Amino acid sequence: MSNLAVLPIVIPLISGILLALLHKKIQLVRVLAQLFTGINLVVAIYIMYVVQKNGSIILESGGWDAPYSIVLVADLLSILLVVTTNIVALACVFYAPKSLSKQQEEFYFYTFFFMLISGVSGAFLTGDLFNLFVFFEVLLMASYALIVLGGGKVQLRESIKYVLINLFSSMLFVTTIAFLYSVVGTVNMAQIAQRVQEVDQKGILTTIAILLFFVFGTKAALFPLYYWLPKPYIVPNPVISALFGALLTKVGIYAILRVFTLIFVHDTDFTHNFFIWIAGFTLIFGAIGALSTNNIKLVISYNIIPAVGFMIMGIGLYNEAALSGTIYYLVHDMIIKAALFLLVGSVAYLAGTSDLRKIKGLIHHYPLLGWLFFLSAFVLAGIPPFSGFIGKLLLLQGGLQNDEVVIVIIALLSSLLILLSMIRIFVRGFWGEKDESIRVDKKAARAFTMPIVFLLFFSVLLGVGAELFYPMIENIAAYLLNPELYIESVLKE
Amino acid sequence: MEIIMSILAGILFTTGVYNLLQKQLLRIVIGTALISHGAHLFILTMGKLKRGAPPILEYGVSEYTDPLPQALILTSIVISFGVTSFLLVLAYRASKENNTDNMDQMRGTENE
Amino acid sequence: MLYAVLIPLLIACFIPYLSKFKDKIHTGIFVLFVPLSIFIYFLQFIDTNFVPVAQGYSWIPSLNISLDFYLDGLSLLFVLLISGIGTLVTLYSIFYLHKSERLGHFYVYLLMFMTAMLGVVLSDNVFVLYTFWELTSISSFLLIGYWHYRERSRYGALKSMLITVFGGLSMLGGFILLTIITGSTSIQEMISQTDVILNSPYLPLVMTFIFLGAFTKSAQFPFHIWLPDAMEAPTPVSAYLHSATMVKAGIYLIARFSPVFSAYEWFFIIVSGIGIITLCWGSYMAVRQTDLKGILAFSTISQLGMIMTMLGFGTKAAAFAAVFHILNHATFKGSLFMVAGIIDHETGSRDIRKLGGLMTLMPISATLALFGTFSMAGVPLPFLNGFYSKEMFFDVSLDLSSTSLFIAEIMKTSIPYLAVLGSIFTFVYSMYLFFGTFTGEKHLDELPSKPHEAPIGMLISPALLIVGVIIIGLIPNLVNEPLLAHAAKAISGEEVHKHIAFWHGFEAPLYMSLIVVIFGSILYIFRKKWTDIYLLIPGTLSLNKVYDRILDGSEKYSRKITNSYMDGSLRKYIALIMIATVLVTFTTMLTTDGFTIKTDDLAKVTVSEILIASVMVAAALGTIFARNNVAAILILGVVGFGLSVLFVLYRAPDLALTQLVVETITVALFLLCFYHLPNLRPRTESFKTKSVNAIIAISFGALMTMVAISAHSSKWFGAISEYFIENSYELGGGANMVNVILVDFRGIDTLFEIVVLGIAAFGIYAMIKLRSDKGVE
Repeated sequence: MSNLAVLPIVIPLISGILLALLHKKIQLVRVLAQLFTGINLVVAIYIMYVVQKNGSIILESGGWDAPYSIVLVADLLSILLVVTTNIVALACVFYAPKSLSKQQEEFYFYTFFFMLISGVSGAFLTGDLFNLFVFFEVLLMASYALIVLGGGKVQLRESIKYVLINLFSSMLFVTTIAFLYSVVGTVNMAQIAQRVQEVDQKGILTTIAILLFFVFGTKAALFPLYYWLPKPYIVPNPVISALFGALLTKVGIYAILRVFTLIFVHDTDFTHNFFIWIAGFTLIFGAIGALSTNNIKLVISYNIIPAVGFMIMGIGLYNEAALSGTIYYLVHDMIIKAALFLLVGSVAYLAGTSDLRKIKGLIHHYPLLGWLFFLSAFVLAGIPPFSGFIGKLLLLQGGLQNDEVVIVIIALLSSLLILLSMIRIFVRGFWGEKDESIRVDKKAARAFTMPIVFLLFFSVLLGVGAELFYPMIENIAAYLLNPELYIESVLKE
Repeated sequence: MEIIMSILAGILFTTGVYNLLQKQLLRIVIGTALISHGAHLFILTMGKLKRGAPPILEYGVSEYTDPLPQALILTSIVISFGVTSFLLVLAYRASKENNTDNMDQMRGTENE
Repeated sequence: MLYAVLIPLLIACFIPYLSKFKDKIHTGIFVLFVPLSIFIYFLQFIDTNFVPVAQGYSWIPSLNISLDFYLDGLSLLFVLLISGIGTLVTLYSIFYLHKSERLGHFYVYLLMFMTAMLGVVLSDNVFVLYTFWELTSISSFLLIGYWHYRERSRYGALKSMLITVFGGLSMLGGFILLTIITGSTSIQEMISQTDVILNSPYLPLVMTFIFLGAFTKSAQFPFHIWLPDAMEAPTPVSAYLHSATMVKAGIYLIARFSPVFSAYEWFFIIVSGIGIITLCWGSYMAVRQTDLKGILAFSTISQLGMIMTMLGFGTKAAAFAAVFHILNHATFKGSLFMVAGIIDHETGSRDIRKLGGLMTLMPISATLALFGTFSMAGVPLPFLNGFYSKEMFFDVSLDLSSTSLFIAEIMKTSIPYLAVLGSIFTFVYSMYLFFGTFTGEKHLDELPSKPHEAPIGMLISPALLIVGVIIIGLIPNLVNEPLLAHAAKAISGEEVHKHIAFWHGFEAPLYMSLIVVIFGSILYIFRKKWTDIYLLIPGTLSLNKVYDRILDGSEKYSRKITNSYMDGSLRKYIALIMIATVLVTFTTMLTTDGFTIKTDDLAKVTVSEILIASVMVAAALGTIFARNNVAAILILGVVGFGLSVLFVLYRAPDLALTQLVVETITVALFLLCFYHLPNLRPRTESFKTKSVNAIIAISFGALMTMVAISAHSSKWFGAISEYFIENSYELGGGANMVNVILVDFRGIDTLFEIVVLGIAAFGIYAMIKLRSDKGVE
């Protein structure tokens, strides 16, 4: 049974390889890609069901005992995120044929896509710090290949910045793992956690923890490390932007969440309070960034940053409500960011520009797209009864429980700014007089809409049907607050 | 010796970072290569240096150097190689397309 | 009650379908039955012996969010207003909106809004209340922006949304604090825990948060600025949202929470203080308006201020007066908005300067307006309901209990004067509104269309409201016991019984009313003489400009801030990231006492190693100073080869071999890629840039070295490698431990390392082959 845990990594891996071989038969590739993604989603949901029923699945690779082998740990948190990843993937794989050029598809888009999913799932599932590095590299390498795919001048230029900064932070990551290995003599996360608990002196540990935080913070795009994110995320095709926006920064946040609830909880006064400061600045500067531009794609791209701010705020607050909030927000944000990138991608395609000053009255031509955008603006800003609200509510509760009034006020204000940045697009771009000059392409619009509707359905469901999800998420938060559970399940002591 | 090696690795990082902060693409890529050398040296140093024989079992030898860091470095070297090759081609293509190898001239504007 | 709340929303789902037949049947006719049936359903609750009704449905029980509805006197009053005025507005809109308009949209928004309002006043759960509260903001945004091809509509819609959502978010903060303090999400439960709340250190914060929500929604000073711009909405919407319902949501909120807060001294100061300022400012500003709806908008602001003031008093009588005025205001203001709409509809203009003398042309409208405006002005006539509540206002303003706070004392003495002052202006604009429109010279040539009386259908709704004005005026005690007393009880928490009478004898309130009428008449007649005062106050300093400046500023300054560092410069990004990393990590190391160095247990220093290290240092530095591509690349190679020699010395044969191979290929690749690129130029950077770079680089390197030394000096645990050393042969079947680890113990690493290489290969291939401009090469 425990071999189940490897499936979400292996299925996309094999799919990717298979589709690389078939790459010229594009019709077949499309169908297979959709089929495999669907299968992967079903498998992930099944694993989630099993985990919920029987507890975490621990896979010790090669049959060697932990901590000597690499363990894959499918606990509720990991598998929940894997499921969400596959929901996003399914929407993207259906969107891709409409959005990509045939050549891009032929030149291994689907292979890179599956490798990205494989890497992301691996990063969520692994219980080994060095293996986490390896999966980071898999997903980054896939993202490098995707970001340059068929690109011209601008795309190549922005890609280089993206690759360089990620490369640097990867090197820092591997070095930090070495430092940690020197101190605790292991790279298995459960065992690291156990050993960190055992030492009375913190010594260099807190420093290493902070260094690791900067590594993950760079990937997660926190203040003051996010500069690399906004521009490179908008240059590739919308479907690639959607994958990036939904998945990549979230892997960074997941890593922080895991490491700073499991391993480095020895000095929360220092580390976690520091996170709250970081969260405040991330919220402010991210929201300011979102207001600063007339490029609708860039608005969405900047909006990744305050969302990450919300999540880090919950980790910093480190109580049950706040952690539940972070997890809820994480799931919510993966879905809505994918939806939004697909949405603005479609808008920019249909309007022929992503410059808001040149777009007006689109709702006359594309009413459904307009209302979907309107809905997603409120989902993003955390207006009830949609998914963003539940996460935000929990985070604010967590904040006020800890008497952190300032961060709560910042969070509320940045929600307003986020809403402003979004509704501005609606008011200026969708409302207004009919623009007769644009070429109307209803057929493309309809094709674009389906995957977006699919994603927004989950956003609404996560809000209105919160009762279906919240008890599970509350369990995860309680589980994260008690690292013993993870340690015991992996090391079996 | 570990201290000296730590300093050496630190110097590799220093020169790497300095190169990374330059304008010319070639220097920047060289910078990343130096940093990865530094990182590998750090990993090696973090296992103890020169304690015992190379980690290949031999009859009668009981002291071996820590094999795990070596395995990690090996993985990391291969990955760095992949990334560096990719980066090189990317740098080449980017500078050809943009007609410059100066990152300062590759800033870009808001709406393109 | 759940059905009552949700029915409008459910019907709204069918509207887009029904609106397809709009050429045959006006969509409004379908809609009309919704508020009407709700109104009739709730009418049955009007009863002297009414007891509050509670109903609950579960929604998200694990978060204590449930659809709990609670109908008490206060809710009942609001529900009846919402559904009653809703019915009349729908009826009115059938004649107001032409079939060529996008009726489907209009009625969907309107029904959405109805659900939202009913939800706000019926919800007992604070988070459900908040949900509906935001829904009112959203639906009113859509209604105000209904004619979104107009610039002003878009402006007004955005403004109202931003201000009310701002208030909503703040209110959410207050609600969360309340749930934390009381441990409950039910308003009734909170009211029962008033003591706990009043003793909480968070009380001022809670109150600020919640009141911000109420004041923004109810257009209280200085947040009133959204309301005049919301007049861009179609008139039925203005009549509904901006006189009877949405703006009263804030009033409702204060009333609902007044049992909790009214014992707190600052409650009076803030609520009545803001209220009285709003009353005076609103009525003062209304006189200056030239747009009929503009006058009504400011008039609404001032009337809301008056109700707010009364709620702030916190006395039984004041609570009663407040609910009475809520009812009265809805009747006369609703009808006035509709009449304004009729005038707009028939003449094509709402500019009072172009109107005039319409009395003979539109006699029925004129009559309706006469009753409406005179009731609003509080003219002492026994058939005008406005007079009763205004006089009650004067009465309660004179009867305030004493407090200990100095500022409250000042307010107590000044409020009656301010009340009279505000009422004088109210009188002036009411007269102006009526006489300016219906009497005096005609300017028919300036009007877009020739005015004539409106169709009968349009007149029904305002006429019914005016009938309400007169009935309440003639029989003021009609709804007193069965409705108003219950509502007042919900606010003040005690039984309130009051007999409303026209004549109270020669007492202070009567004199105040007379002063209002006399001075009001004088000011109205001589208004041309003193209106220059508006050039002074507010002059150019208007709150609208503040809002515009904030909104423009939010864009301008966010652009400035963001562009100042997000300029696309890679060097800047990397430098900022490194500076942050170095600063924070160094600080951490210092404050947590992280740096340690142990010199026992180190390997011996040998000359050969030092030699290699020196060569590597020299080569690494050389890459910085090299001027030639090939030279730089070869020097880099020296570092790599040096590293492989070190691997040999440090007993890592596998590494040495791999490094050697990889380094060779890398150098070759480097040469291949950069051979065709321009040579390294002498650096043109300034000395300053260079030194900044150097400082960043050196501090980063130093940081890594220090952490490394400390980590190496803190080896607290044996490494897990012992296991590999012991078991690699017996269990792994290989003598080379590194190989066994790679292919067996940590096989996944290796598998995915190969995957990385594979992706890189495909990626490079795709990058070279597929080009955006030329397609496939």
